[in-house]
Amino acid sequence: MRVLGAVVALLASGLALLLSGRNPIGLGIDALDAVFGSRRGIEGTALRALPILMTALGVALALRIKVWNIGSDGQFLMGAFAAVGVGIHLSGPGWFVLIVMALAATLAGAVWILVPALARAYWDVNEIITTLLLNFVAVQLVTWAALGFWRDTGAAVIQSTEQVPVVLASLPGTQSLTIALLVPIAIAAALAWVFRSSKWGYEVDIVGGNPKAGVFAGINVRRRILVVMLISGSIAGLGGMLQLSAPGAQALSSGFSAQFGLAGFIVAALAGGSFRGVIVAGFFIASMFFAGLVLQTKGLSVFIIFAIYGVILTGIAIGEVAARYRLVRTDVAPPRPGGVPA
Amino acid sequence: MMLALIDNAFLSLIASAIPASTVVVLAATGCLLGERVGVLNMGQEGLIGIGAVYSVIAVTSWNVTSPWTAMLIGMVAAAVAGFVFAIAVVVVRASQVLVGLALALGGVGLSNQLGTNRNGTPITTLFREVDPGGAFQTGGVVEAFFFHDPVVYIAYVALPALLWFVMFRTRHGMNMRAVGENPAAADAAGVSVMGSRLVYCVLGAAISGAGGAYMVLSFTPTWSPDIARGRGWVALAVVIFAVWKPFWVVAGALLYGSMISLDATAQARGWSLPFLGGSDLGFFLSMLPFLATLVAILVPAAAAQLGLRSRSTAAPAALAVPYSREER
Repeated sequence: MRVLGAVVALLASGLALLLSGRNPIGLGIDALDAVFGSRRGIEGTALRALPILMTALGVALALRIKVWNIGSDGQFLMGAFAAVGVGIHLSGPGWFVLIVMALAATLAGAVWILVPALARAYWDVNEIITTLLLNFVAVQLVTWAALGFWRDTGAAVIQSTEQVPVVLASLPGTQSLTIALLVPIAIAAALAWVFRSSKWGYEVDIVGGNPKAGVFAGINVRRRILVVMLISGSIAGLGGMLQLSAPGAQALSSGFSAQFGLAGFIVAALAGGSFRGVIVAGFFIASMFFAGLVLQTKGLSVFIIFAIYGVILTGIAIGEVAARYRLVRTDVAPPRPGGVPA
Repeated sequence: MMLALIDNAFLSLIASAIPASTVVVLAATGCLLGERVGVLNMGQEGLIGIGAVYSVIAVTSWNVTSPWTAMLIGMVAAAVAGFVFAIAVVVVRASQVLVGLALALGGVGLSNQLGTNRNGTPITTLFREVDPGGAFQTGGVVEAFFFHDPVVYIAYVALPALLWFVMFRTRHGMNMRAVGENPAAADAAGVSVMGSRLVYCVLGAAISGAGGAYMVLSFTPTWSPDIARGRGWVALAVVIFAVWKPFWVVAGALLYGSMISLDATAQARGWSLPFLGGSDLGFFLSMLPFLATLVAILVPAAAAQLGLRSRSTAAPAALAVPYSREER
């Protein structure tokens, strides 16, 4: 139903484009051609899928315990920030630097969600706005790094930090992809296993379904919320490092994240907490994103893509209602013979 | 001498904070209106964008010559968006979080698209400052508080006063709050839950849209992409800080605004700190409004933890909970 809602939303967006004097079918064909018509298109989609998948996995994990992590964009940026900090200052063998970068990014993502997580777990402060506000702080901090304290003074034109000298190995048989793409797939598989087979995952699902039931079952609900949120942030943070350690993306600039966190949020909402679903939905949203980039040359702007994201998200929300919709027969006491209701 | 310097800096901070926070005051007031009847509209960012872009379109393409008319057009556009939102969450009962985020994303995307050809066009149809007359032109306090355009007075004084009166001193207001606290009871008492949720959701969206209109018709005054720049999210936070009370919204928004103008004031006066000289200070200060807002959200919760706050000041009990008469 969520998927149906998204599809209906896409069709509605096409109709809106038609009404504004564009040819949605032509654009759709162009989009499909851009994405699947060439090797570059498929690789371009997979390249965009990496950050979207990582943020989406973090959001999806938090959704299992009914926490909305809308700050995955900030956690992603802080992961990249920490990775750059390590990468340009630490010297050593490449594999060693990469491992330290990954650890630093994972930690940075967790640190970035620490205050919202503590506030949510122990003070019952709504996490939606606290996580989101930190996105803006992260953007400013990254801008500061790129234009200020880690600025690459050698490059006069591009305003970014210095480049990290190490990159991940490339994925065999591809030109622009690295082994980083395997990480979200591995994490999705691991999370799917945790929630299918482990006690911890089962308890998280109980808390997500009904926190009171969790308390009665003797689960430390607050600690579960804290830990889940920290892991959620760290996955997004690791995503920032993976994005940074691809050839050609080794420096941090203020435009490092093209709202990947928001795209990831939509993916998680579409997948509805299913980790396998995240992978499928992630590639779908990434293909839309890539098609949007290509279609910019055809007069379609990236802004329209965001507007369409909004329509899709509405479609998902309405689809969820439709999925829950049941006719429930409630027994009404039959009227008494005398005709006087009890 | 030192005192005079501090005094002046503080006054100029307040003077520039007032217009800078007006957008947040309006958006947060619109938001509060919806939340009091139990509807959380997280699409404030989108509503500000829509209100702003339609005001810009009104003055640049539709030859509107009065800023009031332009603002009204922006408000109507935002109200339409708010109506779509209200249908989805009140009538269809879709998740308020998801649809709210959709409105934030979609509204920003749509307004950026509509404003593409108007980037940087200076707006000349502007609100004029109210001049209190020559006798008051002594600078200092008077200048800080009495040289603003009429929208400022409406947003800071008239609107909160009206809301406070209606919400806490009339029967209608009591019904309204009942819908936000216990819709089933309100329904049983004969109050139309769906009706009041729809009406206040749309009205709230219009007020948020007025915030966007104010940005382009007085504050910036020009269109640029992503015009709200997080102010919509700050507005949502301000409502929490204000524990759903109209005049506390003003205080919360001013806190944010003074952080914004701290940046500008520091730049204008060439301030520096031992560790953060020159441009670094600017970068640091640009993070401050959002950090301050984050701290502000934690204040009511911290007060509750310390036992300083009574339970009656908590969020409306039915906030973001869809109401269905059949399921009560």
